[in-house]
Amino acid sequence: MSLVSGPGRGMASLPAETRLYVDKHVSYIQSLDTRKDELEYWLTEHLRLNGLYWGMTALHLLGHPEALPRDGILKFVFSCLHESGGFGAAPGHDAHMLYTCSAVQIIATLDAFDKLEAHMEHGRRKVGQWIASLQDPETGTFAGDEWGEKDTRFIFNAFLSLSLLGLLDLVNVDKAVQHINSCVNFDGAYGTSPGAESHSGQVYTCVGALTIADRLDLVNQERLGAWLSERQLKNGGLNGRPEKTEDVCYSWWVMSSLAMINKLHWIDGEKLTAFILGCQDPDLGGLSDRPGDMVDVFHTHFGIAGLSLLKYPGLAEVDPV
Amino acid sequence: MASHGITRAAGTAVRTEEARQQQLRDVDAYKELVDLVSTKVTERQYTLEVIGLLTKLLKQNPEYYTVWNHRRRVLNALFPSDPADESSKHGVNDLLQNDLQLTFALLRQYPKCYWIWNHRNWLLETAESQQGAEVGRQLWSGELLLVNKMLGADSRNFHAWGYRRFVTAQIERLTTFTEGEAPRSLIEAEFEYTSSMIRSNLSNFSAWHHRSKIIPRLLNERDANTDARRALLDSELALICEAINTDPFDQSIWFYHQYLMSTLSPNCPSKDRIVLNLNNGDRQRYYENEMQYIREILGDEEDCKWIYEGLLFLAGAYLEVDGGTKVFTTADMRSWLEQLKRLDPLRKGRWDDLGQCLNL
Ligand SMILES: [Zn+2]
Repeated sequence: MSLVSGPGRGMASLPAETRLYVDKHVSYIQSLDTRKDELEYWLTEHLRLNGLYWGMTALHLLGHPEALPRDGILKFVFSCLHESGGFGAAPGHDAHMLYTCSAVQIIATLDAFDKLEAHMEHGRRKVGQWIASLQDPETGTFAGDEWGEKDTRFIFNAFLSLSLLGLLDLVNVDKAVQHINSCVNFDGAYGTSPGAESHSGQVYTCVGALTIADRLDLVNQERLGAWLSERQLKNGGLNGRPEKTEDVCYSWWVMSSLAMINKLHWIDGEKLTAFILGCQDPDLGGLSDRPGDMVDVFHTHFGIAGLSLLKYPGLAEVDPV
Repeated sequence: MASHGITRAAGTAVRTEEARQQQLRDVDAYKELVDLVSTKVTERQYTLEVIGLLTKLLKQNPEYYTVWNHRRRVLNALFPSDPADESSKHGVNDLLQNDLQLTFALLRQYPKCYWIWNHRNWLLETAESQQGAEVGRQLWSGELLLVNKMLGADSRNFHAWGYRRFVTAQIERLTTFTEGEAPRSLIEAEFEYTSSMIRSNLSNFSAWHHRSKIIPRLLNERDANTDARRALLDSELALICEAINTDPFDQSIWFYHQYLMSTLSPNCPSKDRIVLNLNNGDRQRYYENEMQYIREILGDEEDCKWIYEGLLFLAGAYLEVDGGTKVFTTADMRSWLEQLKRLDPLRKGRWDDLGQCLNL
């Protein structure tokens, strides 16, 4: 996802249960990199670059892009870049599609492709070529890295990164689109590979990839919309698959997929807003998967992005892809 | 950094000074281990000692994907360059068994960690290329037991279901490959597996889904004629209707019902059909039977929205195959839609669109 435009109108005065604790969330996100005395900080180093993307995007949506210093962010991002053109999760971690996508999204949000070029000669092209090298010419799928794990997620990561780099022509888009089409199920939704059960995270990546490829004509929008709308539970939250529990991160994947096929009105936005707001930690900031659980930057980001898609007042507008 | 289901109180409890000191010692020990491993790997010390260090680190942090990559680099270096070399077979086997045990133990603890599943997959593929097809076939067959255990612990784990599909494909490939033996398909066994999973829990949509993917292949491999195909469709309909009757509020069941109905549609690709040569008269009869059955349940369950949704879906399908409104009226459809709006206000926008689409 990326920002559509700058922050919207100022926040109206709202009753406590419908309030977004903007300042708390900003200081929560700022605090994340100061927790080096906690074991958890080190055990999650393999997510550092994603975490930075999640935190930074949340801050932009909250209207506080200045809360993390631009130069510091870029310095860290480039410290994760390998000679090959791929990015790892942190310095010394191997290159992988997941982190390369986050890196490209950060650079694009900060409008800093010139800095990439300055850091590495022909950097932009090198990153694009690294991603393109992971496509299987036979099947059109993408691997996550040199070890070859395949998953529809990586097609999305590749398409999204390459479109931000302006280098989508480096890969065979049609082949990859065909592969996505072979992952569709009777319910109109998508799985990780042909034959796999429909899963909202996978729906988001497949519909997102098809949106970038301008091939939403391949989606059975009525059926998919029906399946997605049934993810909403009585408490307003959305789940990832039939008969599972609700979760803020799944809420984002489901609602952004609905938005991409113009069916966001098929669920109750007010109830979903209330569910997401109920996942805030009103004292220390941040959002969790469900009300009362421990917060983390992942759910903080998806919760705030969800509120933005639901047009919560005062937030910058988010692009569902 | 992405936590699920951990209560906030547990995370924010104030730490005592002693606990804080302990945490700092843990941090130091962990960072020391990480540094030691990366130094040794950078120096290309691809030894059994390093394997031991990697094991220690992965047990603490199985999400550390780079460490799994290091492990494969070390293992690749320890394998003999010539797989046919008999004297080294023993060593290779020990290395592989060691990793199979490690990943098994970790999967029991972290069943949703992608990197452990990936490594296991790599181990099996490597074992096959190092030790030959027969050893490969035995190992892949053993994986079915692992998958059964994983699905026994969590019958919806989508990693385990995905791995199951992959494993059965490998076993079938290698059985076909073995000389003198006729290709043996696992499709009947897999069909039976979904039956037993559904028997123990009707609400297991993963099992229903798997079944929907198996049926077309099952029929092809049985070389089923029209009668056999109709018989299978009828028995599936009987199964799902009984399930609907047992728990009409369970959406997994209704989705499987929708699946069966979708195979009847003239728009269903022929590879996905159950009965191949239906005409519109046949279709109408199927839809009529289903409508009649669901209307019977309606008598006992007036407040179940799935019933009205099912009826409207069938009515739409019926109209599509020129059934007209012999068995229901437009007024019926309108009242079903009103019930949907009453019972399911969350999806009001969808019911409004449906009303427009059906001209109600
Ligand atoms: Zn979540």
